[in-house]
Amino acid sequence: MSQSIAAPTRPETVTPRVRSPQIQLARRLARNLPALLGAAVIVWVVIVALFAPVIAQYPYDQTNLNAVEQAPSAAHWFGTDALGRDMFSRVVWGARSAVFVILMVSIIDLALGIPFGAAAGYFGGWVDTLLMRVADILFAFPGLLFVFFIAATIKPGILAWAKSNGLSDLAKSGYLDYAVVILALGVVGWAGLARMVRAQVLSTKEREFVISAHAIGVPTWKVILRHILPNSLAPVIVALSMGMGDIALSEGYLSFLGIGLQPPAPSWGNILADNAGRYWRTFPQMIWLVLIPGVVLATVVFAFNFLGDGLNEALNPEISP
Amino acid sequence: MATLLEVKDLRTEFHTQDGIVHAVNGVSFSVDEGETLGLVGESGCGKSVSVLSVMRLIPQPPGKIPAGQVLFQGRDLLKVDDEEIRSVRGNKIAMVFQDPMTSLNPVLTIATQIGEALELHLGMTKQQARKRSVELLEVVGIPEAEGRLDDYPHQFSGGMRQRVMIAMALSCSPQLLIADEPTTALDVTIQAQIIDIVKRLKNELGMAIIWITHDLGVIAGLADRINVMYAGFIIETAPVKELFGNPVHPYTLGLLGSIPRLDESRKAKLTPIEGLPPDLIEMPKGCPFYDRCEFRSDRCATENPALELVAVRHSAACWNWQDVQKRRGAYLSARL
Repeated sequence: MSQSIAAPTRPETVTPRVRSPQIQLARRLARNLPALLGAAVIVWVVIVALFAPVIAQYPYDQTNLNAVEQAPSAAHWFGTDALGRDMFSRVVWGARSAVFVILMVSIIDLALGIPFGAAAGYFGGWVDTLLMRVADILFAFPGLLFVFFIAATIKPGILAWAKSNGLSDLAKSGYLDYAVVILALGVVGWAGLARMVRAQVLSTKEREFVISAHAIGVPTWKVILRHILPNSLAPVIVALSMGMGDIALSEGYLSFLGIGLQPPAPSWGNILADNAGRYWRTFPQMIWLVLIPGVVLATVVFAFNFLGDGLNEALNPEISP
Repeated sequence: MATLLEVKDLRTEFHTQDGIVHAVNGVSFSVDEGETLGLVGESGCGKSVSVLSVMRLIPQPPGKIPAGQVLFQGRDLLKVDDEEIRSVRGNKIAMVFQDPMTSLNPVLTIATQIGEALELHLGMTKQQARKRSVELLEVVGIPEAEGRLDDYPHQFSGGMRQRVMIAMALSCSPQLLIADEPTTALDVTIQAQIIDIVKRLKNELGMAIIWITHDLGVIAGLADRINVMYAGFIIETAPVKELFGNPVHPYTLGLLGSIPRLDESRKAKLTPIEGLPPDLIEMPKGCPFYDRCEFRSDRCATENPALELVAVRHSAACWNWQDVQKRRGAYLSARL
């Protein structure tokens, strides 16, 4: 273009302060009290999980038969259980299990859900058909039952494989239980996320700025990454936040029912199962041993749901009351 | 002048559950270097689809281009590979869309969006692209351009966004600018500003323009030549003065009769064209305008007329164009 084009001169004007969508989102979220509380709880749980070895006064599996079934005290904030294990330490280490499982399952969900969903939504064709059929199959089972099924069937297989390959130490360690829980929840969870991404991409790819990007000559992969996905992820963020609460709860179920994390590995679910199984006849004795892990788990699930609701309102200001 | 773009017998159809929609039915036209071509017609007549086909921006499926050639600087754009068409888009042929409120990505700053084409086609670095973006924004008349680079689209008004869109389109100095109803979504004063900007840039840059509109008033002062489209056909094509002075297709006449004019009495009534365009799935055998035409004859029901030369550089697709020419005075004066 030639330099001779004269730009019209204008009087100086004051440019309004730039507010990026991210900052607007954060401001809207900050005005929402439940969401703020939820976020605070989550941050707090993550900090506890990170610093569990420092925060917990005792190892989570240390038994002390001279101090069983104690009431909460200065030495044992949440009391001790039937084997004399410090409940506070177990709950703190339980946070680490929960956060680890939530994080890994979310990573699996995102790593499978976003690429498959985006490819299915954008390209259609066989990718789409395959994804939708797999999702149909996964949705045809009651979710929890399917998780039970996977958790119950893959573990013996891996155990047998580990033994025959001289890895029995690995099999004996608690890591396998984590892997089973994460795998089972991940396999069931990603399809829902993929369907959501697909639906979003399907509608976003028809929007004018996407056609405009094509008209500029932007390569397809860049159109998807830069123009379509960032405009498709709002409901995914909400679903993921709510889903994290579900993951925490599912891990609790699995461990409660004995097919998740196995004692002495600390999980809020198996602590609850342990103590509820022992003390339900003597209700309300030792009630705190049952209540505390239950309340902690419920609080975390609530926190994720509140945050999810808040995100939903912040991302869709037009629907908020 | 040399021919820049030549479209030959272009056909575009959409395969839907209800059947095949024949959106463009054998359209041929050409654009010379520096020429401004107006593409006029009502909604759904195939204006946008034909230019989107030229850019190969029709989603396939459901869209399909079963026939035709789009020769741009001698190359058939319908035949080149994806990489080559991408190097043409935004670089040699740029496009401005109808609705500036939705044509910009809401989550990217405008610096990023204008820079995208510059980095892609001209291999500029981020800094170079920023500098160029400021110049471009100044060219399209955005005040305090530098301070607005990091703004998001929602911080701009509709007219300003359309200026940004034009700046984006001009970024790589295209030889052809396709403007798809760029003023339809804007209010009248802003429309005039945008048209002025485009006129000024056209003269200074010497690019060719295809301007799509359904408003003959907008195109009158801008175009060198006008193609009138109806139901996926070009039904009349003429230099702009010839078209306004000597319209011979009943549809063109109808369009002219349905726009208000400043130089006529206030009591004059606007004459709408009665009826609706034909169903593009089950196209009529004869002339597509048959049902709505006041000049129709029996032949029109069974045979679809082809474009026929009616005057110098002026073609129309009508069996009865001579009859129209004789009777159009009475038709137009009926509204006074």
